Amino acid sequence: MTAKRRQRAADAVTYLLLALILGFFLLPLVWLALTSIKPAREAFSIPPVWISKPILDNYRHVLDNVPVIAYLKNSLTIAAGTTLLSLALGVPAGYCLARTLSRAAGNVALLMLAIRMAPPVALLIPFYLVMREVGLLGTYLAVILLQSVFNTTFVTWMMRGYFLSLPADLELAALTDGCTRFGAFCRVALPLSVPGLATAAIFTFTMSWNDFLLPLLLTGRTTRTLTLGILETMSTYEIGWNNMAAIGVITVLPVLVLGYLLQPYYIRGLTLGAVRE
Amino acid sequence: MARLIRRLGLLPWAAPALLFMLFFALYPIAYSVHISFFRYNLTDPTQAKVFVGLANYLQAFSDHTFRVAALNSVLFVVLAVGIQTVLGLAIAVMLNRDRPGTALIRTMLLAPLTLTPIVVALVWRALYNADYGVVSYYLKQLGLNVGRGPVGEPSTALFALVVVDVWQWTPLVALMLLAGLRSQSADLFEAAQMDGASGWQQFWHVALPLLRPILIVALLIRTMDVFKLFDSVFAVTGGGPGYSTEVMNHYIFKTGLTFFDMGYAAAMSNLLLVLIGLFTAAYFRAIGQLGTAR
Repeated sequence: MTAKRRQRAADAVTYLLLALILGFFLLPLVWLALTSIKPAREAFSIPPVWISKPILDNYRHVLDNVPVIAYLKNSLTIAAGTTLLSLALGVPAGYCLARTLSRAAGNVALLMLAIRMAPPVALLIPFYLVMREVGLLGTYLAVILLQSVFNTTFVTWMMRGYFLSLPADLELAALTDGCTRFGAFCRVALPLSVPGLATAAIFTFTMSWNDFLLPLLLTGRTTRTLTLGILETMSTYEIGWNNMAAIGVITVLPVLVLGYLLQPYYIRGLTLGAVRE
Repeated sequence: MARLIRRLGLLPWAAPALLFMLFFALYPIAYSVHISFFRYNLTDPTQAKVFVGLANYLQAFSDHTFRVAALNSVLFVVLAVGIQTVLGLAIAVMLNRDRPGTALIRTMLLAPLTLTPIVVALVWRALYNADYGVVSYYLKQLGLNVGRGPVGEPSTALFALVVVDVWQWTPLVALMLLAGLRSQSADLFEAAQMDGASGWQQFWHVALPLLRPILIVALLIRTMDVFKLFDSVFAVTGGGPGYSTEVMNHYIFKTGLTFFDMGYAAAMSNLLLVLIGLFTAAYFRAIGQLGTAR
């Protein structure tokens, strides 16, 4: 009986703590969502007004007055470009490093990971100078190239791990049946590695979409991404928090939805493959 | 010979990626080492590069702001990663036992991880606002003197930014550790219980040691990322007030890309690269440990 009561007390304490923790983690999210559907007056009221009659004026306002659609298009172009390039380079490289039985392959994979660990600003300064020299500053390509440096390393590392977990026997069988290496890769290895590819793709896309530092330096007036747009509109268009929140929701919604739809893949990507659920 | 050919047979598969890295990662780093020995300021109308030897590196060591930024970076890592580890472990342990509602909480914890960091930073900037911010308001209600707001006061600004990082990334640590706890077999705990171990003892002597490899990986992933901290400093405080939240990344960025003092910025970024390199080495050793533990 006392054991049961003690258990119940422990449960109560746990729920209380979890409620506090959940409150902390939800506060900024709730604030963002509610502020985006609030009139400006209430967004700045003291004491804070949490619940108000929901309006869509803020969204209408930012769509009419801020080039949100252009920002959205730029973000999408850069994220899609980075994802395609990183996968095109990283998937075959990962396959090679997984199926080459030598110590060197493991070392190359680690070197790739080391580049990923480098602080972006260390590469950004020389890269900026090079792009300036060749006249690519302000283009999509400049951002896509540097983002792909960081993401190709990730894709290679991720896919090597994934291909290593697949038995090579099936590919060998395909080879003895007269398939070319490429044929065996396309027909056998690739279909089996769809979860790995999904992880690599959605994680790269999200990293690129959420990036702020590289677009800050490498994009120009016509190629600015949403992450820059939201900061810029804060100062240039003199908009209130309610409008900022509306752009914020537009910015985070795609990656939030993507993250939830493909939850296990997303977590595997965040932990560099260390966690497989 | 046949083996060598087989081995070379796959080399073209990796060649595009390796050439890409050579050209867009290693070449820029080499170039950065090169310009770190020059005085090279883009605002200088002649844009002349003057060889100065190690002067840029020596300048970094005598530069008060750089020292403050380096110290803040380290302080940031210690505070943010420390809090994330303790809080993440606590959350993982609480969610490990299946109680009603824990699945929902686990799902909700994913949200901060996907959110765009610059949006998160701007939301916290609004929450911290001294006059209209929700956080400032409730702190005042609690009878605290917030002055110019949590990020407006030099004494609390750094910690206020740590809270932002804790908010966004504690769930990652929690979910990693939770996955680690889930993978532990129940037999071990039953055996420990038979031997008369209490709940705490089971946690300290069975669960925690088994969790070590994944804990190390979580710690090091977070350490690397906190060293790269930029967005929230740039968007919330700009390194201020004073230099209270200036960190290495932001200071290097400002030196190179706001003041265009490229040689000095390159020298500092190379120092940061060395610092990160040391941590990366530790990380690889940890991954090796994880491999053997599996």
